[in-house]
Order: sequence, then structure tokens, then C-alpha cells
Amino acid sequence: MSSHREAPEISKDPVADSTDLYAFVSPDQPDTVTLIANYIPLEGPAGGPNFYAFGDDVLYEILVDNNGDGQADVTYQFSFQTALSDPNTFLYNTGPILSLDSPNWNRRQTYTVTQVKNGQSDVLGSNLDCPPCNIGPLSTPDYPKLAQSAVHSISGGIKVFAGQRAEGFYVDLGAIFDLGDLRPFENLHAQYGMHIFSKGAAGVNATAQVNVHSIAIQVPISQLLWGSPHGKVTDQGSVIGVWTTASRQQAQVWDSQTNQNTCCGPWRQVSRLGNPLINEVIISLGQKDFWNSQQPDNDKQFASHYAQPELAGLLPALYPGVFPNLEKVVQAGTARADLEAVLLTGIPSGIIPGFQNFTGAVQADLLRLNTAIPPSAKPNQLGLLGGDAAGFPNGRRVFDDVVTVELRAIAGVTLPLVDSSFKPDGAASLVTDGLTASSVPSGFLNHFPYLGVPYSGFETPAH
Amino acid sequence: MSVHSDVDPAVSPGTDPEQPSRMSRRSLLRGAAGAGAVGLVAAAGAGAVVAAARPETKAATPAAALPPNAGPLVVYLRDARTGDLEVLAGTTKVRLHDPALAAQLLRTVH
Repeated sequence: MSSHREAPEISKDPVADSTDLYAFVSPDQPDTVTLIANYIPLEGPAGGPNFYAFGDDVLYEILVDNNGDGQADVTYQFSFQTALSDPNTFLYNTGPILSLDSPNWNRRQTYTVTQVKNGQSDVLGSNLDCPPCNIGPLSTPDYPKLAQSAVHSISGGIKVFAGQRAEGFYVDLGAIFDLGDLRPFENLHAQYGMHIFSKGAAGVNATAQVNVHSIAIQVPISQLLWGSPHGKVTDQGSVIGVWTTASRQQAQVWDSQTNQNTCCGPWRQVSRLGNPLINEVIISLGQKDFWNSQQPDNDKQFASHYAQPELAGLLPALYPGVFPNLEKVVQAGTARADLEAVLLTGIPSGIIPGFQNFTGAVQADLLRLNTAIPPSAKPNQLGLLGGDAAGFPNGRRVFDDVVTVELRAIAGVTLPLVDSSFKPDGAASLVTDGLTASSVPSGFLNHFPYLGVPYSGFETPAH
Repeated sequence: MSVHSDVDPAVSPGTDPEQPSRMSRRSLLRGAAGAGAVGLVAAAGAGAVVAAARPETKAATPAAALPPNAGPLVVYLRDARTGDLEVLAGTTKVRLHDPALAAQLLRTVH
């Protein structure tokens, strides 16, 4: 998955497990950037009575580097507080929840937003309501309206939302984790000699009808940039690098008197996410939790994983004869400078006409967004590969098909950017898991917070 | 005994990094035997984890002498042989290297 349950330790800690990160110039407010960090993977919508919530003991952050050093220049911190109105009922709600101050809502969550900039911490908003989870027509009869009322305007012309959303990331997990099966081409899979698939099949969206918890913030672009020239696409100062982290205090002890965990010690980063699918697919199993603990400016230590991705070797092995040119690159041990550029430094000027999202020489896994590129009037979900510079890997929009983009990049379609003599295999520009943004049943919103209305437990029994 | 404090001011505004340096072996042991104010987590030898509290023992330090807003404190004994200890309180960590203290702590739970 993008980064759902991607590392052994964090897979045991869902509330701190970042799943997806988005950064894009807001299509309906183009003087702002929207940043969305998702947590809590694979929420079954019917998961009551203790419906999903953020961790009160987790420090969530969305961090922005605006000068290319791989370190945070602007950080938005989110801390949550849960309150129980009536401990003497087993119910999440004792009647319909028609508003965020409904007395029928028994277990609610609020949060505080703090900005850290230039070494100074400022609380931008506090006691902000999260919406409840989407339960069903009796409990949350007008959920879209109820959730939209949890969009808050806070200091600095900033909008925030924190709460449940429909999972917008689409991927055929069931097939991909079955030894790299891509259903549309599974007849070409080596199949370990078992001859199970004689023809291709449509992809299956394994994340359809599950929810996540989103932290979304919409910020005026001017607040994210610094003094370097910016405003033009060619200005390096127009580019920001974004990532999200979750941290826990180092010690957690079960207090047998209160029957709760108590925490103390310094905050330790346990989850990190910049570009999609990196810790999932690029970083090896033994290093994933370590990768989660590291800061982006230390990512040079992982550069060999980006330069020699294991998946690039698996594609020719699993699909014999389909990727002969890629196979030669792998066998030659050629470092994939294209992937290093796209994922670790951004793409410099002069590679793709009229485009750059280069942040400098520091190798750091950041979701890089050139804020001077306006939203696309006709978005292409393949982003830059589809000729749409407003999409991934220039930031990431909620509907971008990052699985296909990264599959094709690893298969070699981006290698000619740095090696004009390389001819990608014909299959490289076709490879996909067979899904598109239309594979997401909820669809997406055309306004903040952009991710779709979460699936209700009533309409979507856990499966 | 050597002491190393570890606090990240970016994520823990308002903590007092000086506070842990006032910790002594004596005060730590008093705490370990105190009236439930201290949780002791000790990892001894091959990774065994022991949690202990001694609520039956009267605290030796008057409450008025404690730092304001003193919350839970956890001691993590990483390696009894070298006396590698971490003392965690608030958003602060102090690292100690004190085999004698480690041995004394272990005697409180064995």
C-alpha cells in the first residue's frame, strides 16, 4: 500500500501509522496549498462501538522544507484530546448526531494546531472539533453536512479538518502481494510453472470501502515560502518539500490503577511519509522501522535502495521476456539516477521543458511541490507522466494514480530523462494494476478537504 | 557516573532540561521505593522486563520538595552489566552509566 502497515513495528500501532500524504495547489483556492496526511489504515466502517479516532498520545506533524536542506522550516503539529460525556453507557452515541455539539454524541475528540516556524511555536487553533465517524442513517443522518461543519478557519487564513474520510488511495493489494501479480497482465506472469492464469483480468481495488483518518490543512502559499525568489515555475524558491511524521513518547507503561497507558520521555518519531510507496516498496524489510525514525536530511544513507530498487529486478524475473531492456539495466547494475532525481532531489530545470521541482543537492525523501504551477484545468491522474505538471510527482493530488506512475517509472519510462540512449520496453508505458480514480466508490470532493465522504458502517459492513 | 540529557525542544516546549540533572542515585532509589509515584521498568540480562512498584513503602521525600507537576517517571535499565540506564520523565530523558545503581535497582525487584 502507499504506506499502510508498511513496517513491522508501525503495523502494530495503527493510530500512529501514516498511510498517505498529499500536497497540491488547491484547485478552488489557487493561492493556497492543501496538505493532507492520512493515518489509521484500513478502517472497517462498522468498527464500533469504539469507532476510530486519532491517538491522544501521538504527536502528528506535517512538515515543510522550503530551502532545500531537508529540514523542516514550517511545521504544523496536531495533538488530540478525547472526552467521554457519559461513561455509564456502552454507546458511542445515544441518539442521532445532528451537530458537532450534539448531546447525543458520547465520545468526541478535539484537537490543537500549533505552528512551529523560525524556532517559535504558535497555537493557531485549539479545542477544534473533529467530526464523529460515519455510523449510519440513524446516528449520522446527514453526514456530509455534519463533517463539513468540522472544517475550521484558524489564525493566518488557514483551514483545517481532522477526521474520518473515505480511503482515496486505490491499489490491487491482493494481487500485488501475491508475488507481484498485476491482474491485467497476469497471463504473462511466470506463475512459478503453475499455469493458473491464461488471460488478463480487471484490477480489484482492495481499499475500496475502507476509511482512514485525515489531517488536512489549507495554507496560503506565501506562508510556506521564504525569501528566495519565487512565484515563477523556474524559481527554486517556489518549490516546497513536504512530509508527515507521527511521534510517541519513549516510554509507555500500563497503569494498573487507572487502567490506562501513561507516557513519558522524549518524543520519538515512529512513522514518516513523503513520497508514496517508498517505505512500502523501496526500503528493505529490515530497515523499514529505522527509515521511519529518520529525518529526511539523512536519506543519503538509503540512496542505494532508490538507485537499485528490488522491484526493477523483479519485473523482468516475474514477467519473462516482457522487460528485456530493463533487465539489461538491472544486470549491468546501472544506478537509476532518474529515480534518485524524482524521489530524492526533485527534477532540475532543463530535463522536462517548462518544469522543475528541484530542491537542491541534499538527498531527502520529500513530496516536492512547485507551488508556481497552477492547478490543471484538465487533470490527468498519471500526473507528469500524463503531461500534467500539476500532478505527482509534482506534489500529489487525491486522485493521482501513484501506483501506476511508480510502476512505470521503475519499469524504465523515466530512465531516458537521464540516459537518452535507453529505450524503455514497450510494456513499461502500459504496466498498471488495472485501477483508476474511478475505482474509488466514494469519489472525491471538489473542495476542502477533497477526500470523499467516509463509508458508513450501516451501508458498508466490515469484510 | 556519567549523565547525558536528551530533550527535543522543538516538540516539547516548556520542558525544563535542567531538571533531570538534579537527579541523584539516592533520589532515584528513594523514588523507586516510593509511594506509587515512580514506575520502574527494568530490562535485565537477556531482555527480561520487570515492572515494579512498592506502594507499601513510605516515600522518603516530602511532596512539597518534588518539582511542580511531576508526572510519571520511568527508569529503563538497558544493560545491568554496564549500568546503562535511561530515566524518562515528562518529555525528557537522562542517560546514566552506573553499574552500582543498576545493581541496587535490581535488588529492589528481585
